[in-house]
Amino acid sequence: MIIHLKDINKTYPGAVPLHVLKDINLDIERGEFVSIMGASGSGKSTLLNILGILDNYDSGEYVLDGVTIRNLSENRASELRNRMIGFVFQSFNLISYKNAIENVALPLFYQGISRRKRNNLAMEQLERMGLADRAHHLPGELSGGQKQRVAIARALITKPSIILADEPTGALDSVTSREVMEVFRQVNESGMTVVIVTHDPGVGAQTNRIIRIADGRIVNPDDNLIIPDCKNV
Amino acid sequence: MNNPLFDLDNWREIGTTLARNKTRTFLTAFGIFWGTAMLALLWGGASGAEGMLRRNFSGFATNMGFLFGGRTTMSYHGFNKGYTWQLDDADISAIRRLVPQIESSSAMTGFGVTVAYGSKSTGTYASGVEGGYAGIQLPVIYEGRFINESDVSHTRKVAVLGRNVANELFGEASPIGKFVSVNGLFYQVVGVAGQTSELNFGSRIDDSVTLPFTTLRRAFNRGTNVDVFLFTAKPGFRPTDMRPAFERIIRSNHPIHPDDHNAFNFQDISEEFGKVDMLFTAFSLIALFVGAGTLMAGIIGVGNIMWIIVKERTQEIGIRRAIGAKPRDIIVQVLSEGMVLTAIAGLAGLTLATLILGVADHMTYSPTLGHAGFELRFSHAVYIMVAFAVLGTAAGFIPAIKAMRIKPIEALNSK
Repeated sequence: MIIHLKDINKTYPGAVPLHVLKDINLDIERGEFVSIMGASGSGKSTLLNILGILDNYDSGEYVLDGVTIRNLSENRASELRNRMIGFVFQSFNLISYKNAIENVALPLFYQGISRRKRNNLAMEQLERMGLADRAHHLPGELSGGQKQRVAIARALITKPSIILADEPTGALDSVTSREVMEVFRQVNESGMTVVIVTHDPGVGAQTNRIIRIADGRIVNPDDNLIIPDCKNV
Repeated sequence: MNNPLFDLDNWREIGTTLARNKTRTFLTAFGIFWGTAMLALLWGGASGAEGMLRRNFSGFATNMGFLFGGRTTMSYHGFNKGYTWQLDDADISAIRRLVPQIESSSAMTGFGVTVAYGSKSTGTYASGVEGGYAGIQLPVIYEGRFINESDVSHTRKVAVLGRNVANELFGEASPIGKFVSVNGLFYQVVGVAGQTSELNFGSRIDDSVTLPFTTLRRAFNRGTNVDVFLFTAKPGFRPTDMRPAFERIIRSNHPIHPDDHNAFNFQDISEEFGKVDMLFTAFSLIALFVGAGTLMAGIIGVGNIMWIIVKERTQEIGIRRAIGAKPRDIIVQVLSEGMVLTAIAGLAGLTLATLILGVADHMTYSPTLGHAGFELRFSHAVYIMVAFAVLGTAAGFIPAIKAMRIKPIEALNSK
């Protein structure tokens, strides 16, 4: 089991406290290709942030690849994010003044890996994504699909435990979306656990398992192998 | 991560970031460049201005005073007010006997003369001085020697030519040992002299011929009168303190009312120096004030830009943190960028300022007065660099820490 969530609760404090996650129980096995689906405001982004160690939770238990994630210092959280999680974002989040290979290599910079070695590894990842000829282009010179593939390469370079993708196709047209989902599928087939957060049923349909979240709770957790018949958007 | 200071990769990362964000880098660098240049110019300029003022007084004993005769302002002993009295030998020997605080002193008398050598002649000023004169006016000897005690006591017929006078009569040749005529009487030249100070009696040494006091008076029939008495006070005394003693001695020889202080022309040059010193103090205070302001403005400018940089990069910082940058990595990055900028731009600013000061020094150079001293002391340059490095870094530290407070997820979502 690579992700184990037990009775996770999260409330945003404020004049009217917002209880966004209510007793979340969720297990994801190694090598799964999972989507977390829900309407906006359902709590799926909060869940993703907790999974990605970008946010903390109030009560419950979260074990990621055997490591209990609880009350971590910023340093420890950064380290775990660096080694265990590969992020893919809707808006790509590439550093605009760095070219593709530098963006891909950046996580290794924070591991203290030498420039030559990390550039070699980054080049390998870009080749896998079919972007070897774009290695020295800045993000502004790449298409949306290419940017997202650079981001996926960056997520993969540290050989993380899971890939967490937040609406990875949200900013892409349908053709490119399908291409990117195909990349995720290949990544998953190579043995990587992939978790995609989306509100797009078409994207969810391309994963092997859908976890639906509504109003801060996981709905019909037992039915989540049913694939809805909405393959096309 | 290793120590970021010795990590070449870290420096490369900083270099790349600075090089790829040219506008931002330029604006920050310009702020630092301007600040250091202004501060260095101010500091070096103040030192040059002070040097220019001070060199007017160089080559002159600073604890010096002088006395000469005048007109009474009160009637006394049957003499109407307005009676003109003159210093004479009796006054001077009494002063020398009775005022032990005098260090060097010289009686002096002078008038316009014509000096000639061969077929060349020139109108100039002859001053008769005593041996003590060299301890007051501090002449610059270009050749030979100056008038000394022995010349005066033996009434030797010797002369010291001013440099300009010597040039006019002898050109490039050496006048030493030659005989020149002063108003028709011949004197052997023993030296060529000048002065650096802007203060003079009668005429600058450079433009006059200087004779032994006794010789001049005997040769030109000046009787026992003395034009002016120059003196310096011993260490620990001021010429002004000696004025009452001077007045008492003069009154015993001349018909001057005991309350008539205006009959004396007494000047304490050390008081003038005091005024100039106050001017220097005021000058340095102003320089300090303006300098502190410049420094503050520079630091605030740098801090402001650092703030904007961090703000502008909130999302980038979020990305970097999401993929594993530790808070320390981010802070080190922001601060290192600031320090690299400060070092390069600061050195450039100091270089420019040094060049400008060099030009100013060159332009104000005078062969007799020397350099004004438009220059930045090395220690001051170091102070400026350290101040900018420390304060500029501190200014960057605050926004960097602030950026750390933002959760990576918020930083990621900020646009």
